[in-house]
Amino acid sequence: MITKTIQIEDLVEDYPFAVLFLKEKGIRCIMCGEPIWGTLEEACKEKDFSDEKIEELINELNKLANK
Amino acid sequence: MQINIQEILKKLGIEEVNQGVSTGAKWFETEGKINKSSSPVDGKFIASVKTATLDDYETVVQKAQAAYKEWRLVPAPERGEIVRQIGNALREYKHELGALVSYEMGKIYQEGLGEVQEMIDICDFAVGQSRLINGAALQSERPFHRLSEQYHPIGIVGIVTSYNFPVAVWAWNSALAAIAGDVVIWKPSSKTPLVAIATQKIIQQVLIDNNVPEGVFNLVVGRSSVMGDNFLSDKRIPLISVTGSTAVGRRAAELVGKRLGKTLLELGGNNAVTITPNADIEMAIMSTVFGTVGTAGQRCTTTRRVIIHEDIYDQVRDSFVKAYEKIADKIGSPLDEKFLVGPLIDGHSVELFKDAVRRVQEEGGKVIFGGQVLEGEGFESGNYVMPCIAEAENHFDIVQHETFAPIVYLIKYSGDVQNAIDIQNDVPQGLSSAIFTLNMREAEHFIAQTGSDCGIANVNLGTSGAEIGGAFGGEKDTGGGRESGSDAWKVYMRRQTNTINYGSTLPLAQGIKFDI
Repeated sequence: MITKTIQIEDLVEDYPFAVLFLKEKGIRCIMCGEPIWGTLEEACKEKDFSDEKIEELINELNKLANK
Repeated sequence: MQINIQEILKKLGIEEVNQGVSTGAKWFETEGKINKSSSPVDGKFIASVKTATLDDYETVVQKAQAAYKEWRLVPAPERGEIVRQIGNALREYKHELGALVSYEMGKIYQEGLGEVQEMIDICDFAVGQSRLINGAALQSERPFHRLSEQYHPIGIVGIVTSYNFPVAVWAWNSALAAIAGDVVIWKPSSKTPLVAIATQKIIQQVLIDNNVPEGVFNLVVGRSSVMGDNFLSDKRIPLISVTGSTAVGRRAAELVGKRLGKTLLELGGNNAVTITPNADIEMAIMSTVFGTVGTAGQRCTTTRRVIIHEDIYDQVRDSFVKAYEKIADKIGSPLDEKFLVGPLIDGHSVELFKDAVRRVQEEGGKVIFGGQVLEGEGFESGNYVMPCIAEAENHFDIVQHETFAPIVYLIKYSGDVQNAIDIQNDVPQGLSSAIFTLNMREAEHFIAQTGSDCGIANVNLGTSGAEIGGAFGGEKDTGGGRESGSDAWKVYMRRQTNTINYGSTLPLAQGIKFDI
């Protein structure tokens, strides 16, 4: 299950679809060919996502992961 | 030449499962996650690595601290002698390590050899530098006082490297750090752990033969949960060198800055070549194509933008397309020397390449060559793409960002060369730049203070392929660090100013009177 504390490195490895999904939301998980450091929550906050928006995004990610 | 990967792995001591933590000659039984390394060349599994745990990290740091106390006392030329022997060991394994770099990372074998040659070159450079760690004799304002400055080792140097130059960047940092009297802890890219392990194995006999203390050359293969923020925040590590993206560099700068440590940042680029009406166009095309498609566009110094004067734009564009048509037949396994362009590192990079091709068109650009993912025999890994040429404008969002893949944007300029320079500089990054012109005024203007704002500014050669003798790095979002040659060694040392009073009175600086 994807949570806000998941490391981006783990996210892109375990849920590869997340890279393009998050890119569409303005969050670049891969830069210079390598995953960025930090958690999903930190990456979202960097882009000024509110707590509610982060929760929404994680729900969407989990839905896609369970498809 | 036929390259047998199984033989290469055997010669380099790579087993099916490898330990990912070493303090020199000693390897640790680790209990961390298993990292499986696969080749982007054919998608096949190569070998696994047992990555570090937080306990392993702590053990290594303690070893490094203890080793530093001994290593800093070894005279610098003697440290240089160890580095000389490391250079020779790398010479001995140049073919094997170069081939593994090629297979694990995907750059062509010639570039794999070039990468190992860079390691050898910086070792040679560092050997010479080990006898040239000099200070300055300055003029004191006080009588019978001697004012001078000298350089001392700094301590533990943390080195974070990226997959695109998976071993050369380690060498740039560690050869200089070693002769400076520092010890190093290397976190290699999780995408290329095997070449790091192979490198450590190549140098270990040198360390044993010379009784180098365990803890001088440390390797810790670990994910960012083990070798991430904790590593950056560790006060025991005074200098952290990061080669990677601007995002990772910014994080490093914040965390290391918070504890007032030092960073050496070598981050993203958005490098441009300017071709003026006074250029030798044939030379410009030849050189620039290497810059755009070499290493499949995965160099920090890859040419991302070509800024062409309107008077020659059509001619240059058509020549570019012709050159790319020739390249199209030379994409394939990097281990086969008839190919010049290998794969991208993984599926993520392929997706981001496709995304960039789509976005440049959405923003109003025009793809005039390539941009597709290659399929069929030889391309089964799914990581091979046809390099893309797109006509674009500099202000496009996609052009402002670095896409780590072979997509180049052709941009038109008119009028004076300053207009091209303004376009070139109008991106967040500032790593490498080049101009092609036979006009001395244009060339000098390009490298003057009003010219290129990059750390590297070349005339009549491309943006990539730097020699180790010059300092390497860039400005703005590229991070400001300088590695490799020139006086980059100073970053690995702490400067100390010494004033010695050999007189019998106590004159104060600035003539201050303080009589008790």
